Amino acid sequence: MFVGSLLVTVATVILVAFNLLERNLRTRLEQFGVNTIVSREVVTSTDPSALPNQIRPDRLAPLDQYGEKIRLRQLYSRARVPWQREITTMAYTDEALPLLSGLMHTNTSLIIFSESMPENALVEVHLDRQDGVAVVRRPHGFFRPVVNQTVLLVPQGWSPDAERIGYVEMVVFRRTTEQLSISHFVSAIQNLFSMEEKNPPQVQSAVGMIKELESLQSRQAQWRSAMAGLLGLAVALVFGAIAVLEFRQNAYVSALLRSFGAPGKSLYIRQWLENAVLANLAAVSALLLLACFHKELFGALGFPGDLLNLNNINPYFSWEIALVLLWVNVGAFLSSLSVAIGLKKPVGEILS
Amino acid sequence: MSAVPIVVQDFSAPTADQPVERPRAGRPLICENLFFRYHRKTDWVINDFSHPFRPGITLIKGASGCGKSTLLRILAGYLTPGKGRILTPAGLKPTNVDFQRRDLGFVFQQLNLLPLATVARNLQMAGTLAGLSQKDTLERTERWLALLGLRDFADRRPAVLSGGQQQRAAIARALIKEPSVLLLDEPTSGLDDLNTQVICNTLRQYVVGPRVCVICTHDHRLDFIAHEVLDFNRFLPLEGHLVALAGTAE
Repeated sequence: MFVGSLLVTVATVILVAFNLLERNLRTRLEQFGVNTIVSREVVTSTDPSALPNQIRPDRLAPLDQYGEKIRLRQLYSRARVPWQREITTMAYTDEALPLLSGLMHTNTSLIIFSESMPENALVEVHLDRQDGVAVVRRPHGFFRPVVNQTVLLVPQGWSPDAERIGYVEMVVFRRTTEQLSISHFVSAIQNLFSMEEKNPPQVQSAVGMIKELESLQSRQAQWRSAMAGLLGLAVALVFGAIAVLEFRQNAYVSALLRSFGAPGKSLYIRQWLENAVLANLAAVSALLLLACFHKELFGALGFPGDLLNLNNINPYFSWEIALVLLWVNVGAFLSSLSVAIGLKKPVGEILS
Repeated sequence: MSAVPIVVQDFSAPTADQPVERPRAGRPLICENLFFRYHRKTDWVINDFSHPFRPGITLIKGASGCGKSTLLRILAGYLTPGKGRILTPAGLKPTNVDFQRRDLGFVFQQLNLLPLATVARNLQMAGTLAGLSQKDTLERTERWLALLGLRDFADRRPAVLSGGQQQRAAIARALIKEPSVLLLDEPTSGLDDLNTQVICNTLRQYVVGPRVCVICTHDHRLDFIAHEVLDFNRFLPLEGHLVALAGTAE
């Protein structure tokens, strides 16, 4: 009982940890978007195209037929709002205006993407020597993948001093057709830069996260199998140990019943059936109990109660449970072996 | 609590009003050239024993360790002889399950009453395993508990009974199926005269007609119910040594 509870607790903690990791990765993937590709190119102050009012050539233009994109400049200077010391700042070009039109306020072209600030609030911002008012919006669509924290969006040229020292040009591309796979898309971006003899940009896509998710799921499956096997083995060993401890008693009762003419085969089958029914009932009851109270159990272990989403994965109807039940039945069989051994001994040697 | 019908008996010799009947007609329980030992490397405990146990009561007497109880367990089919054979009155081997279920009653020296079952339940279990109907089982349980003075203890567990009551309960359990072969291992050891008398009366009343009863005992108080007494000391390997020790003590 103690060993079983301990193993179940350890297994729960391990599997819940995996579940949390997977959930975190899935959230990141959902936020980033399966069809999103982000390219980051460092533009130094020596680059002539770094000038604030200079329109940089769009090297990814050949890929426009495969989706839509927005170009942003992540500045090295950080803006300030009255209650938050520094926030990341990005500059947008005129090309982005159609995508931003729904987000802009009539009084200002500055936008703050934030999850924590009150939506639609107008906030004073300060960047280098520029002051302005920005409207707070929730990040969504194109901006979701690049906005992990509070970000100030300003029009290109609004803070020339900040842009002059260089920036990271960020292109957020959203694939709208599956003609080109994500990996080919990534290769295409790198090839386009190579053709212009430029260093390839840093490209971020969902491929890495999907691989990571698959790897995590694979490891999770391995751990689940191992834990199910270990738990089942422990259950079988406990049954075996109980059988050893009860050997004399079982042998005595069987011998007594045999002395009254009860056939040995019936005694063995009865014992095996009794063990199997009891063990399976106990296992199924434990399972049902866990299914009813897993929220409370997770809560007690410090995990969120809604961690286990039965729509995604239902561990109560999985092959691991079948594996545990198989071991339970192996244990029931093992525990009935002692009776079989007892039945081999003559009644007269057991009873006196 | 109902009174147990007791007649105080002088155990020294059979009385005129309670004569020992001669063995009656019927098929015996036959032992032919029996050899038995517990392990291959040990000496034979029973060495070439042959005897027909005729209907009636046979006492097997002998010192401790001479093999009386072993013989009884062989007769019941609970041990298998190394050589030789046994035939039940019905012509079966004693290991035959039907013989053990219906025709054999055995009282162990250690009684072996089921400790968690009541006295009545112990009897009913034996009746059920013998294939008796529920009605017969209940009726016989009632009857044998009454005959052995245990009616008021029917719902008690063996542990709360006295030694004599436990002994009577074990005999009642053996008799509930009314077997044709009744084997008893030291049924009166350590019992007072009153309990011994109840058991003697029960056995005398029960062992009639073709029924075979074999009792292993040291108890001389049972001599008066015996139709035959068998001395088993010949199988005692230490007999000479024990006799010498007894002489030294004197």
